[in-house]
Amino acid sequence: MNTTVGTLVRRSNGNDSARALRNAYSGSGIMARFILHRNWLRMLIWVIVLAGMVVLVIDSQRVAFPTQATRDAYARVANTPAIAALTGLPYAAGTLGGILNIKLWMTVAIALSFAVIFLTARNGRAEEENGRTELLRAGVLGRHAYSLAGGLVFAGFTAVVGVACAAGAISQGLPAEGALLMGASFTGVALVFLGVASVAGQLARTSRGANSLASTVLAISYLVRAVADVNSDGDRANGLTWLSPIGWAQQTRSYGENQWWPLLLCLLVALLLGGVALTLERRRDLGSGLLPDRAGPRGASALLRTQVGLSLRLQRGSLIGWTLGIIVGALFYGTVATAMADLLSADTPIAQAFTGRSKDVLDGLLGYLTMINALLVAAFVLQSADSIRAEESSGRTELQWSSATSRVRWALARLVVPVVASLGLLALSGAALGVTFGAAIGDPGQAGRFVWASLAYWPSALLVIAVVVLCAAAIPRVAATVTWVLYGAAVIVSMFGDLFGLPDWVSQNTPFTAIPRLGMDFTPLPLVVIAALAVAAGGVGLSILSRRDMTGA
Amino acid sequence: MRSVKGDGVSHMTPSLAVDVHGLRKNFDSTRALDGLDLAVETGTVAGFLGPNGSGKSTTIRILLGLLRADGGQATLLGGDPWHDAVELHRRIAYVAGDVTLWPSLTGGQAIDILGALRGEHDRERVDSFLARFDLDPTKKARSYSKGNRQKVALVAAFASRAELLFLDEPTNGLDPLMEGVFTECVTEARSEGRSVLLSSHVFAEVEKLCDTVTIIRDGRTVESGTLSELRHLKRSTVTVTLDGDPRELEALEGVHDLVADGERATFTVDSVALPGLLAAIARLGPRELVSTPPSLEELFLRHYGVHVAGEKPESPTAVP
Repeated sequence: MNTTVGTLVRRSNGNDSARALRNAYSGSGIMARFILHRNWLRMLIWVIVLAGMVVLVIDSQRVAFPTQATRDAYARVANTPAIAALTGLPYAAGTLGGILNIKLWMTVAIALSFAVIFLTARNGRAEEENGRTELLRAGVLGRHAYSLAGGLVFAGFTAVVGVACAAGAISQGLPAEGALLMGASFTGVALVFLGVASVAGQLARTSRGANSLASTVLAISYLVRAVADVNSDGDRANGLTWLSPIGWAQQTRSYGENQWWPLLLCLLVALLLGGVALTLERRRDLGSGLLPDRAGPRGASALLRTQVGLSLRLQRGSLIGWTLGIIVGALFYGTVATAMADLLSADTPIAQAFTGRSKDVLDGLLGYLTMINALLVAAFVLQSADSIRAEESSGRTELQWSSATSRVRWALARLVVPVVASLGLLALSGAALGVTFGAAIGDPGQAGRFVWASLAYWPSALLVIAVVVLCAAAIPRVAATVTWVLYGAAVIVSMFGDLFGLPDWVSQNTPFTAIPRLGMDFTPLPLVVIAALAVAAGGVGLSILSRRDMTGA
Repeated sequence: MRSVKGDGVSHMTPSLAVDVHGLRKNFDSTRALDGLDLAVETGTVAGFLGPNGSGKSTTIRILLGLLRADGGQATLLGGDPWHDAVELHRRIAYVAGDVTLWPSLTGGQAIDILGALRGEHDRERVDSFLARFDLDPTKKARSYSKGNRQKVALVAAFASRAELLFLDEPTNGLDPLMEGVFTECVTEARSEGRSVLLSSHVFAEVEKLCDTVTIIRDGRTVESGTLSELRHLKRSTVTVTLDGDPRELEALEGVHDLVADGERATFTVDSVALPGLLAAIARLGPRELVSTPPSLEELFLRHYGVHVAGEKPESPTAVP
């Protein structure tokens, strides 16, 4: 690498601007290896999970729709506003590939986009924020080398995911061209968000800011596409689709017409955004952002001087964001629930997976949606309770624990937010779902039973908090990974356990599926058991926390 | 709860604010502290010297109840640092070597929160220290440099009414001007009757500020005493060749350990005795004079320099 740079510099002798340009990128190769070294496992897990989902879903859909006749029957009813809004236009619903796209395309595209957004912030702005970039750039490293290397590595990552997903689909016997185009469309949409994340990383001063900026763009793209698809003419795209990168990638219509050209649009915009990011990087100082930093208050308010107030203030942004997201989601489910229920015939495995043990498809579906809300609330609660671990690993507990507050009181003060917020969020999301569903069926009295059905998940949220406390206390260094993996497993088993044919004793006994669903007979026993588990795990966690050495820093 | 704040204890101020004997601490297989002794007399500034990794921060974290000792005794303001942690912490302020703050809060907010955690809120006092350390409290902590984060913790500690200050390499990242302000603040704290444990590797700072010094190495105390006690170790070493009899110098005040070999003599001398000594030497017809002034640094390096040479240093009392 060094010799290459040396040769380049010598050859361009006498041409200062060319040399300056090359200098700005010198060291990119080393940085690319460095970034690969730090992220290969993370990226490998994404590849395996996403490609694995493709294989699993094809397999399950082959079981759900075994004959061409069942697929044709599905195609006749597939084009509903609900499907259009949630996952896009069902243009080839009579083929296994088309069904795969309806069930999974959006999930993979969004997950992969989030993956590159997080990877970009983690390796770009976060590194700059904590000062490591300063160290690197003080060495023989060009100004753009690190960003360029990150961009290239993550672009390669999206390509690998695309190829792996295509290979997974081909291995399941789907047509090669459709499979390759599907994989390419995942790569295409992720490349656009790689560009968005790179620009966001230049604009925001913090990795958190960069993440939320890029995620907002992703959310808007999703919503614009949803509005476009709901207003489409049959399965033909609405003009509005072309305002959303997700829309472009979906207009490749893999397994259908197989159009490759919309991907050019993705590629072009991705390159353009990458160029913008590099231009912005050239124009700003290291460590600064282009969005201004405002001066803050010179002292803490009375609220902020309390432990609970401090923890509330630190989580203000994420609390507002999650609350809005969960309410919007619940409002949306409420409006589409009836349409979705019409579409599900009670005898397919899919319908059974959705409806669980309910007697009525619609009630079963509403119960399923209520559980999804509870799972979202649980994700917020996990993130919120995890502040206990985050405070310690960042070294901030050093000053807090050496002040006149016991560790247990300190931890409890931090748990007030997730404990209270989960109660509020469950009630709100239940009410939102009930009100919009009630409006859809012309029965305004629905909210109450939804609120209660939703609140039944509170013990589950408490169990999530308790497990976070236990992990943060007992295994602080790996707690974040362990708790999120446990949560991920609970989500997959709760949502898809039946679909994957897991035995009942597994799929019906997660902290979420064990709770009696809306429309089922209510028994308090599971709630009591889960609450007792939560108290026990939390108690053990707090006791360990107060006895062990401080870690971190 | 043992009565740490009980009237009997706090009024009858113990003569030692910190009293540590034979402290031991292991991290997995690494021995961080191996029988460390440390004492801070009430109302004094105690220096705590040792290179990185010698166990200074570990000791302070044990005293703060952040880590639990594996052996030995530690008494803090008459209480037990682990069991009485919460009560003791009302009377203690701490400045960590590397201060981490909440990035989204301002420095001013962080100072108030740290004060509230101790149950204090004295706006005027905070403002006066903010002014002295020239710190802008309206900036978000994420935009602070290391030195400014350090200042946040220093302002919070000095503005508190804590009886005992733990300062772990507090001037790390401060510019020389601010080091001057820091020196003033520590001196003031002492004059207010507060006790200070100052861990540092800046010798000048320790010499200037500290009443007593403890030097540690590999988790063990190798030297400790008041600075004046240590000053007897701080005599200059002088070698002279004289026309007259060098033995005459032995009678002079401040001259010690004289070894004469004919016209040549080597001895140590207190720095205050130098004028008298030079006058006496002048009368004896000096042909050669070499004087080597030692310092705290030399004393310190004596325990480490040997290590570099590959020899194991012997007992700390090898120096007379």
